[in-house]
Amino acid sequence: MSLGSRICVLLLLAVSLGASSQAKQLAVIVDKTNNTGSMSATELTKVFKFDSHKWPDGRPVILVLRDPSTPEMQTAIQKLYHMQPDEFKALLAAHQSGVIMVRSEEELLKSVESIPGAVGLVDVYSINGRVNVLKVDGKLPLEQGYYLKGN
Amino acid sequence: MGSSKLRILIPALFAFFAFQALAHDSPTGMHISTKSPQAHAFFEKGMAKMEMLHIQDGLENFRRSVKADPQFALGHIILMFFSQDPTEQVAERDKALATRASADPEEKLIIDWLANSSQSHSIPAIQAMNEALEKYPHDKHLYWLAGWWLLVDHNQSQRAVAIFEHVMQIDPRFADAYNEAAYCYARMGDFDKAFADIKRYTELVPNEPNPQDTFAEISRMAGRFEDALTHYRMSLKIDPTFNESQLGLGDTYALMGQQDRARAEYAKAITAGSPVQKVTWGLQSAATYVREGNLASADKAFSGVADQARAKDFANLEAEAYRSMSLYQLEGAASLSLLAKAEAVLKEEHKIPQSLLNEELASVLRTRVERALHDGNKELAAATFKQLQALAEANGADGLIETSLHGATGAAALADGNFADAVNNFEEDESNAISMRSLITAYEKNGQQGNAHRLSAKLAALNVPFIEQAIVVPEFRKQWASQVAAAKARPWDSHNKY
Repeated sequence: MSLGSRICVLLLLAVSLGASSQAKQLAVIVDKTNNTGSMSATELTKVFKFDSHKWPDGRPVILVLRDPSTPEMQTAIQKLYHMQPDEFKALLAAHQSGVIMVRSEEELLKSVESIPGAVGLVDVYSINGRVNVLKVDGKLPLEQGYYLKGN
Repeated sequence: MGSSKLRILIPALFAFFAFQALAHDSPTGMHISTKSPQAHAFFEKGMAKMEMLHIQDGLENFRRSVKADPQFALGHIILMFFSQDPTEQVAERDKALATRASADPEEKLIIDWLANSSQSHSIPAIQAMNEALEKYPHDKHLYWLAGWWLLVDHNQSQRAVAIFEHVMQIDPRFADAYNEAAYCYARMGDFDKAFADIKRYTELVPNEPNPQDTFAEISRMAGRFEDALTHYRMSLKIDPTFNESQLGLGDTYALMGQQDRARAEYAKAITAGSPVQKVTWGLQSAATYVREGNLASADKAFSGVADQARAKDFANLEAEAYRSMSLYQLEGAASLSLLAKAEAVLKEEHKIPQSLLNEELASVLRTRVERALHDGNKELAAATFKQLQALAEANGADGLIETSLHGATGAAALADGNFADAVNNFEEDESNAISMRSLITAYEKNGQQGNAHRLSAKLAALNVPFIEQAIVVPEFRKQWASQVAAAKARPWDSHNKY
């Protein structure tokens, strides 16, 4: 028995661990000096499609992205870009100056933390206190109805 | 004379524990700032008990710890985290926050993590947890706690297993890390790794019943029923009072299709169980009649459990009994009447936490949406769905309510032919056999044949002792077996995935 199962019984719950969802939720992270607290899904899509180039304070937007094959990017491509993988690659190639490609989650967090104007997407369970998490359509990750959710 | 001896002995005992505790406050331990040796010793003992799954003993030691030092913030927050009493949880969280200023940096991060989590402030909670993990990579207790939080509170098996494996690196003899990692791997379907961890767990604590119980439970999940029976019996041989293993015998026989034997084993477990266990396990025993198709006896058994739950004011379990009955009713009217009964029970005045009542109400409403759609009553489905949405909005952070909402949304989308939406929602409830069956249909209709195939294999192999499994899986296995057999008969088919 796991500790969780024991506590579930004591809590008047039928033991059904694993009953809640395990879908991946992506946090939109920016550097700590970025004052933007919230964006609509439409605004976010514009940022990630290079249609918005600047933050409200005038700093240029720098996208920090991982390889398109990662689960995080698959969700992003599905939810934000609505593109086929080849189209997505072509889009990135056309906007190289506004993108930094990184190889790991750790590298992504470090890049966003240290580059003013940087924005990235990361599994919500990886966030640390050195980045800010933006609300999307008024909601933070793990809140009901959060937009950037996928498997 | 006796009492004066005790007066000498007790401080001496505390001094001994304090020495032991301080000795454990090593680089692999938590930073514990209390100035009270008693509080320190009780805290260490509480953690050790928890890590061996002796929950009540653990809680008692945490309570003694904060009694010995009411300013011990870490003691308060850990007691909050493990407490099963909602009133105690809130009181201890408030005390932890009130005394936070005197805590050391690691303790402050743990308080920020767990206090925010308990108030559904998930983002600062995760940030504080990750900061603590990053700053204190050698603290095995901290890592164990984080793994446990990720697994139990957030169902993040993949993340949790990496954390438990880090605990094993810090201390290869940390037994419960292997236990929890085994469950993570089993839930991820990687039984080879699960059994490797269980083997190590049994080697580390050979005289405890729980490793054998875990071995048995994971054997059962893997469909190795004879092994499961063997290990449950070994557990009971080590400790005949380890009643969870007695329950496990009932579960295993139920899944093997031996329902008379299952009921006999359940009856022994129920006799020795606590009041909550008697009711919870009574539900599992009642489901054996559904498994053998004896619905009249199932009605009788579930009604009996509902009466027992009512007598103890376990309203959520009483409602669950009625909801379970509604699931197998052949007539729509009978099913809806039982769901109405369940809803009425939940809306009465009860002493148990409202959150538990709300979670069961969400399940009842979700079941009503599904039944109404099944019976073609779109009006009732829509009205019930609205009710469930309002409940979810009022309880935004409750994962179980959200899961019910996803199940109902998926069912509505499937009925409307909106298959992509159905997929998105059912994927949020992938452990429930009823949702899994619907998700397979949604995948097939949405052109995701590969996903449908993978999930079909998973559903056919699902071995859990719940009513949803009893209703869905035996029938599904027959269909799946005939599909596999038909596919094998046409090996030339290039689309053949079987």
